[in-house]
Amino acid sequence: MISVSPTLLDMERKNFLRSLLIGAVSTPAVINACKKSSVANETVGTTSTVTGGSSTANCVVAPTETEGPFPTKVPASYVRSDITDGRTGHKLTAKITIGNSSSNCSPMAGAIVDIWHCDADGNYSEYGGTGMQPTNYQSVHFLRGRQTTDVNGLVTFTSIFPGWYSGRATHIHVHVYNAAGKSLKVTQIAFPEGSGTAVALVNGYSKGMSGYTYNKNDNVFSDDATGIEIATVTGNTSSGFELKIQLSIPA
Amino acid sequence: MSTWERLVFTDSFTEFKMQSQYYNQKGEYNTFAELKHHVPNAEQLHFLVSGAVMGYIRQLDDLIPDVTNNLGLHFLKFNQFRFEIINSDLRNIDKHVVAINFYSEELQYIEQIGDYLLTSKINPSNSDNEPMLTDMFVITPYLTIYTIQQ
Repeated sequence: MISVSPTLLDMERKNFLRSLLIGAVSTPAVINACKKSSVANETVGTTSTVTGGSSTANCVVAPTETEGPFPTKVPASYVRSDITDGRTGHKLTAKITIGNSSSNCSPMAGAIVDIWHCDADGNYSEYGGTGMQPTNYQSVHFLRGRQTTDVNGLVTFTSIFPGWYSGRATHIHVHVYNAAGKSLKVTQIAFPEGSGTAVALVNGYSKGMSGYTYNKNDNVFSDDATGIEIATVTGNTSSGFELKIQLSIPA
Repeated sequence: MSTWERLVFTDSFTEFKMQSQYYNQKGEYNTFAELKHHVPNAEQLHFLVSGAVMGYIRQLDDLIPDVTNNLGLHFLKFNQFRFEIINSDLRNIDKHVVAINFYSEELQYIEQIGDYLLTSKINPSNSDNEPMLTDMFVITPYLTIYTIQQ
């Protein structure tokens, strides 16, 4: 569409070609936007037009596209049942039932349940943000998910069996909110231990169990004398595991 | 604010209100600045809140928004980004400010012509004798050259 004068292409291009990366902050409009209550600026004319590179000084090129594809409302990327995002490990189906302890533990429907846990090697998805490093936007939130409880208070996630890291027993983090997003409970799910249990069968994945912290020495679970935080976990390494737990929470 | 920006803005505020409760279990703090100052690991909120905008990032189809070439077309491809909370206040959405940095794929710098940069996409198969497709654009505010390599 642009014809470039031949002299430019004839130049010894390799001598001055450089590669570069362009960085752009997209949100100056958001920065200003909090002061604007109207939607007056939502037209395509907001980008300043630029003068065309031809010899006609007043030849103004009209922007043909400023907003890209039609934006539509989407839920947070956490909202999904399968949270594996390509992480490998033994399949784990987690069925978490939320009950209302203020009402005889009757099922709490419509509660928002976030879970997150580490991968087979004991690593969480990156926290980022503190450094200046950009990240690829695919799968940065692996092994994190959000579901809303059904009429039986149940949410189901598909994931992998968590690995472990130094100082902690195997666990899954849970944050329960009410339907309006108010935090009701931040807690963790522990796993049963001993011969034949999932923890024993998975055997710490590639790390083995040397140096593993068991529940009784875990600084989170050691005070759980009655095992109320320990889930029921069944299954095996070939067909996968199923975790079930009831969490009772005052609504 | 464009529709896209408004969705990013409101959904990231909602997510901030949800996720910040983990770092604010006694409800003592109202602003992101207070959380960062008083609560260890509150910096993690940049990452945690970004989950609310990933769907909108995907809707961009790998094209950096706002930046157009001299024909008015979006042309900068990206797959790297960085989301950050600049400021936020649980009591007032008007104090909520977030930024998304987009990092383009590598370009070849060919020439500066007046106020314009002339660049082309990297195409290793392009021989010296063939014409190459180029883009011409102005370095506008909030647009910068992030890395350069001879």
